[in-house]
Amino acid sequence: MNRHVLAFAIGLVFALVAGWVVFPRVLYSHQQQPVDFPHKTHAAKSGNADCDGCHPFNSDGSFAGIPKNDTCAACHTDKLGTSPAEAKLVDDYLKTGTTTPWLVYSRQPANVWFSHAVHVKRAGLACADCHGALGTSDEKRLYEQDRISGYSRDIWGHSISRLRRAPHDGRTMSDCEDCHHKRHIEVGCFGCHQ
Amino acid sequence: MKVSRRDLLLGTAGLTAGIFFTPVPWKVLDDVSIWTQNWAWIPQPPRGPVTTKLAACTLCPSGCSLRVRMAGGFPVGVSGSPAHPLTKGALCPLGFAAHQLNWHPARLQEVRHQGRAASWEEARSAFEKACAEGPIAIVDGRSGRAASIVLQSFAAKHKASYDALRNAEEKSLAPYAKWANVSVSSLGYDLENVRTIVSFGAPLLDGWGVPGRFTHLWAERAAGESDPQLRLIQIEPKLSRTASGAWRWIPICQGSEELLAASLASVLIEEHLVPAQGPVPPASVTDAASQTGLTPAAIRELARAIVDRKPVLCISDGESPAIAALNLLLGAVGTPGGILPKSGHPLPMPPASANDKPLRAVLIDSTVPWEYVAPEGAEAFRFAAWDGGGSRAEWLLPAPGFLEELSDLPSPPTCAVATYAVAPNLLSTSAQTKTAAEFLLQIDPTLPAIDQTIRARCEEIFRARRGTVHAAKPASIASFESAAKLEQALRDGGVWLDDPPAHSPLKCSLREWPGNSGNRAPANWATTWAQPVLPPLAAKLYQESSLRETPQRSQS
Amino acid sequence: MSARYGMVIDLDRCTGCGACMVACAAENNVPPLPARATDRTGLTPMLVHKVNNGLEGAGRREAFIPIACMHCANETPCVSVCPQQAVEVDKATGIVMQIPQRCLGCRYCMTACPYHARYFNWWDPSWPPGMEKTLNPGVATRMRGVVEKCNLCHARLHTAMEKAAAAGKKEIEMTDYIPACVEACPTNAIQFGDLANPDDPASQAAHSPETFRLLARLGTEPKIYYKSRQPWVRALAERSASGHATEGQHV
Repeated sequence: MNRHVLAFAIGLVFALVAGWVVFPRVLYSHQQQPVDFPHKTHAAKSGNADCDGCHPFNSDGSFAGIPKNDTCAACHTDKLGTSPAEAKLVDDYLKTGTTTPWLVYSRQPANVWFSHAVHVKRAGLACADCHGALGTSDEKRLYEQDRISGYSRDIWGHSISRLRRAPHDGRTMSDCEDCHHKRHIEVGCFGCHQ
Repeated sequence: MKVSRRDLLLGTAGLTAGIFFTPVPWKVLDDVSIWTQNWAWIPQPPRGPVTTKLAACTLCPSGCSLRVRMAGGFPVGVSGSPAHPLTKGALCPLGFAAHQLNWHPARLQEVRHQGRAASWEEARSAFEKACAEGPIAIVDGRSGRAASIVLQSFAAKHKASYDALRNAEEKSLAPYAKWANVSVSSLGYDLENVRTIVSFGAPLLDGWGVPGRFTHLWAERAAGESDPQLRLIQIEPKLSRTASGAWRWIPICQGSEELLAASLASVLIEEHLVPAQGPVPPASVTDAASQTGLTPAAIRELARAIVDRKPVLCISDGESPAIAALNLLLGAVGTPGGILPKSGHPLPMPPASANDKPLRAVLIDSTVPWEYVAPEGAEAFRFAAWDGGGSRAEWLLPAPGFLEELSDLPSPPTCAVATYAVAPNLLSTSAQTKTAAEFLLQIDPTLPAIDQTIRARCEEIFRARRGTVHAAKPASIASFESAAKLEQALRDGGVWLDDPPAHSPLKCSLREWPGNSGNRAPANWATTWAQPVLPPLAAKLYQESSLRETPQRSQS
Repeated sequence: MSARYGMVIDLDRCTGCGACMVACAAENNVPPLPARATDRTGLTPMLVHKVNNGLEGAGRREAFIPIACMHCANETPCVSVCPQQAVEVDKATGIVMQIPQRCLGCRYCMTACPYHARYFNWWDPSWPPGMEKTLNPGVATRMRGVVEKCNLCHARLHTAMEKAAAAGKKEIEMTDYIPACVEACPTNAIQFGDLANPDDPASQAAHSPETFRLLARLGTEPKIYYKSRQPWVRALAERSASGHATEGQHV
């Protein structure tokens, strides 16, 4: 092979490897949740198979989101078992009254308005339709944060090229738009922004 | 083989070409643009569920009911409560930004003694020492509250004098109180039943009285009408907002209000427009014409216009005996549409007491306007939530701020019907703040506690079996099973409104026409606001627009 | 939902107190500006102007005109000039929606707006320490370099929509959607409602002959109507460039 073409090709391959393999690893930092929380165990033990046992709607229609310490303390006033995760929850957060600093995978920018009430109650979407079968797993998922933008990897999606994505992977504006187009629901800017 | 420069260049070219076939440039561009939208120094609003709580504003005697939106324990928005029987949901312009006031840079955070940081213990021992050494005075800017009972009881027990300051609106009622030998706080203006109001410079549409009370009346009965049901005659030198909205604006020279009142009275008596009663004013129309700048014919025409549609009521800006005497002549004292005593006012008001000897010290409550100056030589213990600057008080004592103090709200000064409400403390205050009442309660725990007084007042109201409690829906007092339930309704944001007064006559005895009371400072939109600072967003009104002039505050 | 939200402002009732201006700023997280800001560089999405009848002495009268975004319905000037498509007219509500985060700060829209209802963020927003905790969670903050304007308190529309969705209703209750300026006015001078709904009192008021719009002859079809029974106020509002009132040009 021509030596020049080889030099070019080596550079090219190097770029492709760096871009497709190294870049996604380096771009995202890995953080642990403050407490290892198992969804499936809780769904079984609390007798609450539905998500809205801990993630209810408030009376005015707003969504409670990630439960506050009060919800956890309803059962975990004291340690119920022997797991180190529970011990950490009770000792470091519930007993001291410090809000547990959960890392929120789907956190959107301040200028985004997403109404759970409109999507769940009016459009009739199920929790699993967007969040997947979270309740059926005890997976202790890492929180991966984009070092440049500061948002969770869940927003862009796990596929760095956004090709061949898993269903419901990604929560960018274009993901919201895709779903709206599919269901023929047109909303203006203020339908999703604030 | 050796790597040449060309190899490197070609390799770099390959790298560059290749990078565009990777996600790197596109993802980095996207991420960088997001990064530029998230500068750390741009404050972000809090997240989280917003709950609405009912409260009441304690920044002025009006006590407007509030709906406070809270998120994460902080107030994030304020609006009026339409259930309040007087405000019907209105607030003053400053009220809408009051929830930010506690974080004003001038917030007093610590006890200060002559400019240096000190402690509450030092303040307490200095005060106790002063009490032992000589006569002290306690100054209250808003008498009638449960806290006022504490202040006045302390003064009575420790032979101090208790000084209840009156604001301009209360002062306008002072002449009637003196002539009828009743307390100022038991009187009010029956605006709801009046058909002609003659305002001598009182800013009725711009900060006078309880927000919303007169503005709603005027909007319904007068705004835009050429022949309104409610005639507002505004007599003042400059075209104020009230003058612009009035049925008639009578421009007169500064300081000639009382002479005009006297000459109007003499015209009314001369032309038999009123039944002759009381003293004759020693003022001729020609005197008044030269001083006011009006023609004698204009003064006569004004007198006729005043009595054209009765009931008529004159309102002065501040204490004006001459204008009060005019009201007496017009039959506006003790009659519907005039000055009325609040019916069977069940809340005992602490009497003021005075002291002639030079004072050793003065305790100044946080409700006293910042401009108040303690008498010369007296050590001043000044309670305030905000430091307005320029204070000559030896001690600056941090008081609770907005929504941080449990207080009760006696009837506002200008109302003819008694009201009572409780302002809860929605926000916890730091241990570093204390009200003057709490300070005195620590020194003398036998004084009546605030909760105790509130309970006693609720029991009085319950026993009197009059009035309605205005919450989400008005509820007659008869529907409450116990005083405790009534108290809970008030603590939850309800307002008790007495039944309308039963027209008990107000007998004023006046021998001769009163003399002039002297100059008054012109009212501006900020003078009814007793706090030393304005909410930061108030700048929208005078700095970032030309809607209003910068409020002039008199220098102490 | 296909509403056309608008207002009818009774200028005879406006006393120029400014409560609407303060309430608007508080609701929309508008920052208090540095001391060197003036009325030219101010940030007042609701701004009350003072006008007078041109006479001096005892005959002089003043009136106050609250001006915010007119939410123009026809050939909306700001929408047509924006190079970023940061402004759009919402088909569902008629609100002219501005997304400040999309704005690049060219200020072309400020030039295009005939009502001077748009304001530029000359400074980064800055609140005294701790005061940022009192911001309204429903409205995002802006940074310097972008234009902003009245958005008809869409945060309150969002709250009303959520409440309706939670109760299983398709339409919002109008009592749940009250813009801050409307709520604040102590004389109820501002009436707010759905101009497309013939049963709405605001819609009925807008169609009454006493009502007029500012610069109606431009044809932008603003959705903020004004009314006054004072002839000089009407004449002022409909005055053409020559200074004469243009009687008979009611649109």
